[in-house]
Amino acid sequence: MRQTFLFGHPSLGEISRPWGFPTWWRTALVALSLSFAGHSALAQHEHSSSEFEVFVAAEGLAGHGRPHPRLDDPWLDADVIFGLTHEQFRVFGEYFITVDERDLERFQIGYEVIPDTLIWLGRYHQPASAWDTEHHHGRYLQTAITRPAIENWEDEDGLIPQHITGALVESRRPIGTDAGMQISAGVGAGPALTARDNEPIDLLGNNPGKHGLSFTGRLAYLPDYVGTSSAGILWGHDQLFASGPVALATLRSNHAILTIYGAYADWSVDAWRFIGTAYYVDVALDRPNSDESFMSAYLQVERQLAHRLTAFGRVEDSARMEKSRYVSLLDDHTTNIDITIRRQAVGLRWDYARRQALTVEFDHEVTLSNRGYEARLQWSAAIP
Amino acid sequence: MKSLAAAAFLVLLLGRAAPAIAGEELVLIVSAHSDVDQLDSPLVRRLFLGLTVTQHGTRLRPVLNEADPKIKDLFLQNIVSMSDSTYDRYVLRLTLLQGRTQPPVYKSSAVLVNAVAADPTVVGYVWAKDVARDVRVKVLRVVWHD
Repeated sequence: MRQTFLFGHPSLGEISRPWGFPTWWRTALVALSLSFAGHSALAQHEHSSSEFEVFVAAEGLAGHGRPHPRLDDPWLDADVIFGLTHEQFRVFGEYFITVDERDLERFQIGYEVIPDTLIWLGRYHQPASAWDTEHHHGRYLQTAITRPAIENWEDEDGLIPQHITGALVESRRPIGTDAGMQISAGVGAGPALTARDNEPIDLLGNNPGKHGLSFTGRLAYLPDYVGTSSAGILWGHDQLFASGPVALATLRSNHAILTIYGAYADWSVDAWRFIGTAYYVDVALDRPNSDESFMSAYLQVERQLAHRLTAFGRVEDSARMEKSRYVSLLDDHTTNIDITIRRQAVGLRWDYARRQALTVEFDHEVTLSNRGYEARLQWSAAIP
Repeated sequence: MKSLAAAAFLVLLLGRAAPAIAGEELVLIVSAHSDVDQLDSPLVRRLFLGLTVTQHGTRLRPVLNEADPKIKDLFLQNIVSMSDSTYDRYVLRLTLLQGRTQPPVYKSSAVLVNAVAADPTVVGYVWAKDVARDVRVKVLRVVWHD
């Protein structure tokens, strides 16, 4: 399966597409994969191990006040996770498949320099996103069906660059006997600001436009070193080069520099879980344009109930998005995605079987140009 | 006479049941060739939750024992302090976050003991009686006793 992924499958159309990276890069990926994968003897005698999980979800959507179902809610998707570990070395990837999309979302090669401190090279999810670094593309481990709009991926008109290609350091250090500190920092090539989207580097495809540098980081406190609760601060600095007449005309600038300041808490107390995040995004444009900024925040509250039920509610709000030319550029009216500036959501999840859940969610959304109600029903699972 | 017979039957019944419960111990084991002589509870929990634990420069590798449901229950209660579903979600999350591999699962204690005995880096847990006279492994600690 891993070899199939690397070489591409004819039916997926990947092998025939031009590669965006030099031959040496492709050769290195294949050689590295082959050196790890498929060696059962290695796995048995030299402490190698591998992991393969598929997170699948199917969703139905009905709405009032919005013209089309959103692209970020494919009716069926699969998130394939594969990992190989050999002593301190790691190879790890995430391949996301929907009816319309097939993307190698993450591909990372890592080395654990000391216990729980890893240096990664490759394409990764930037650590300054509180939500995406916890849930990634898999839906089963995400209680709600929707993700907060400010955490949307680039191809869903996401405002904050999420996929970076470069180096990432992740470290978890103990504080005292129980607590811990998490430090993550990344540097690499961010997305290019094309006609209507931020286009991150595609490891398997073309890469139009110019990709600027991205710096991202997170510093978090963990009340329990091995627990899932954490709270901390987030920071990002992305240089986005605009390309194409639409981007240049809307932005009236050759590039935008995003500086993101954020704070978050993901805290579990008994049967309760609270996920709250606030971002301040500063957008610097070429002179004589004045800089702009906007804010976005959300709070999700979850409560475990009897019979494996979990109730949840989320409130999202923002400020000054309507006045931002950067936001206006990404609010693509030629597709069926509008950027959500406010949302209230409630829902109920039922983990009715091992690694399977049914979730229902009702939303009220306000976008830059519309408002409406949506109802969603989702089945999600982890296989095996 | 009838009450005497009933009492005798009861004693007999209890006598048969008692060995399966009384004196039971779940123990943490490593190979007799392992350099590891002790592991405190936080490190054991960290190890079985999928984080990296090293001793004397050696990376330890946990293995799960699901030879019988009671062992699994005791593991969840006494080693990782989580419910079955919470533990499952926890290891799935680690896989999603960093591709960390989940510990191998053994359905037979005898096979697990062989695996531990063969590899000085492997840490497992079994009933004490299953390794009572096995010189290939050593007991690090008692995880649970009745």
